[in-house]
Amino acid sequence: MNHANWTIGILEGILVFLILYKIFSARRGKRLYIRRVPGLNAIDEAVGRATEMGRPMLFSPGISGLGLPTLQALSILKYITGIAAKYRTRIIVPTADSVVYTIAEEIMKDTYTAHGVPEQFNPEDIRFLSDDQFAYASGVVGILNRERVASSFLFGNFFAESLILAETGHQVGAMQVAGTPQVTQIPFFITAADYTIIGDEFYAAGAYLSREPTLLGSLIGQDYAKAILILIMGAGIITSTLMAINPAWANWLDWLKYFRVGQ
Amino acid sequence: MGLFREMQLSLFIKNAVANVWHCLTTQFNLIWDYLLPAAGAPDWQWILWTLGTFLVIGGILFWLLQIVPNRYRKTLVAVVTFLAGLIYAVEYFVPADPKTGTNFLTPFADKLQEATLVIYAFALGLGVYSLIRFHGRGLIKLRPGWQNNLAFFIAFLAMMGAGFWQDATGSRISLNVYDLLFQSTVASLGATMFSTIGFYIVSAAYRAFRIRSAEATLMLIAAFIVMVGQVPIGAYLTSGIPASGWISVFKLENLSYWILNQPNMAAWRAMAFGIEVGALAMALRTWLSLERGSFFDREL
Repeated sequence: MNHANWTIGILEGILVFLILYKIFSARRGKRLYIRRVPGLNAIDEAVGRATEMGRPMLFSPGISGLGLPTLQALSILKYITGIAAKYRTRIIVPTADSVVYTIAEEIMKDTYTAHGVPEQFNPEDIRFLSDDQFAYASGVVGILNRERVASSFLFGNFFAESLILAETGHQVGAMQVAGTPQVTQIPFFITAADYTIIGDEFYAAGAYLSREPTLLGSLIGQDYAKAILILIMGAGIITSTLMAINPAWANWLDWLKYFRVGQ
Repeated sequence: MGLFREMQLSLFIKNAVANVWHCLTTQFNLIWDYLLPAAGAPDWQWILWTLGTFLVIGGILFWLLQIVPNRYRKTLVAVVTFLAGLIYAVEYFVPADPKTGTNFLTPFADKLQEATLVIYAFALGLGVYSLIRFHGRGLIKLRPGWQNNLAFFIAFLAMMGAGFWQDATGSRISLNVYDLLFQSTVASLGATMFSTIGFYIVSAAYRAFRIRSAEATLMLIAAFIVMVGQVPIGAYLTSGIPASGWISVFKLENLSYWILNQPNMAAWRAMAFGIEVGALAMALRTWLSLERGSFFDREL
């Protein structure tokens, strides 16, 4: 198991402080601006499309267990379920993890009840398919084809099955919005989905959709944290270049060694 | 002199903490060894012990949640979440013993990980229940496609039966049946599904590489260089270019390598940085229970 050294500890402390500071200042009522994210705006459009066509939607929270990406996916599910409850549109949620299945079921039940339509909740629309990657993929492909879904949302951790799901969604004519923190799968989603949430936009989705002060503040804190990391990276590039020009300078210039964990 | 005193004090605190820790872990291990079934005990004793422990701990936690007034339940959940997360956070920041690579909290973090796995194992039953409920209703009501529901039950019972049979007897015939179902059927079906990705890549690549804009053209050229640079014909096409000197960068395999490891890697790492900072912020919100409103009800 890796352990932090002092430099990493101090740096993480600063990042954590910035994020928490912004969260609490947002909670005190400070107005915050976040830029427009087209992929997240498209969620409302996709729900509207399914409503107009009278066909169901599909939401896949990925194939991982309950981790941060899945939690983020579930917060997006809550938002989509809220709109689906408003427009009385059916949403099918196939899961690949039994814990995620139970939490997704609770979230949907809670959201339908909160919107005053508890009767719209159908337990059969939240399904545990399989925890095997390709068995899950074939299950979702089957649902996409049989139910002729109008809109498909793919948010969470996806791996080799990402293209199978997104390309099948494209073939059945579904409007697709996708997002994953798995960098290697983003190109597949960009190719096959109509809108793709890229990089840290995935973790910004909760703030963007709910506009809750805590999440907005956290998002701004993240930007400050990134600014600090960019400064460190810039200084690192300059230092490395100088050390490459004259290796003898490494004796007094190599401050990057303090960031190397385990050395 | 001041530095000497500081060092003495630091050594004293370190020794005191180590002694208290040693006493606690010794007592804990003694109790633990007493409660555990004896080494070499039959499997059923271990199964009973595990189930019993889970029921007792689960019962105590359930009882605690019941006696806590409604308005404090969320606080209790937040406190438990915070304490569980604190173990991992402190474990990461406390310096590790250079020889073992662990510190005094590492065994606890490992145990907590194991406890999570146990909870996951129990939740699997809920997943199975979901499958049986969905396919059972389909079969009873003879909905369109009920044959698929029947296929699920046959496959489910056959695989479970073969697994138990193989585990209980270990006979050659049971192993063959298990292999027939798992290696020759389940694994082959998985491999078949995996291989369809090749066809999906072709159709997706066709759409992506159609020349519709300057960006798409640039991507097509880059993709062509990378793909050709990975196969022998790429090396053959530019074999006339000298292997050394500045002109060698125009060899297709070198261009391919450069595209993958310079511009592509830079974009990849930029995305990874953003994602990791986002994950840090979300982990913080989850740990401090600042994000409950995103899933169920109002924020804490």
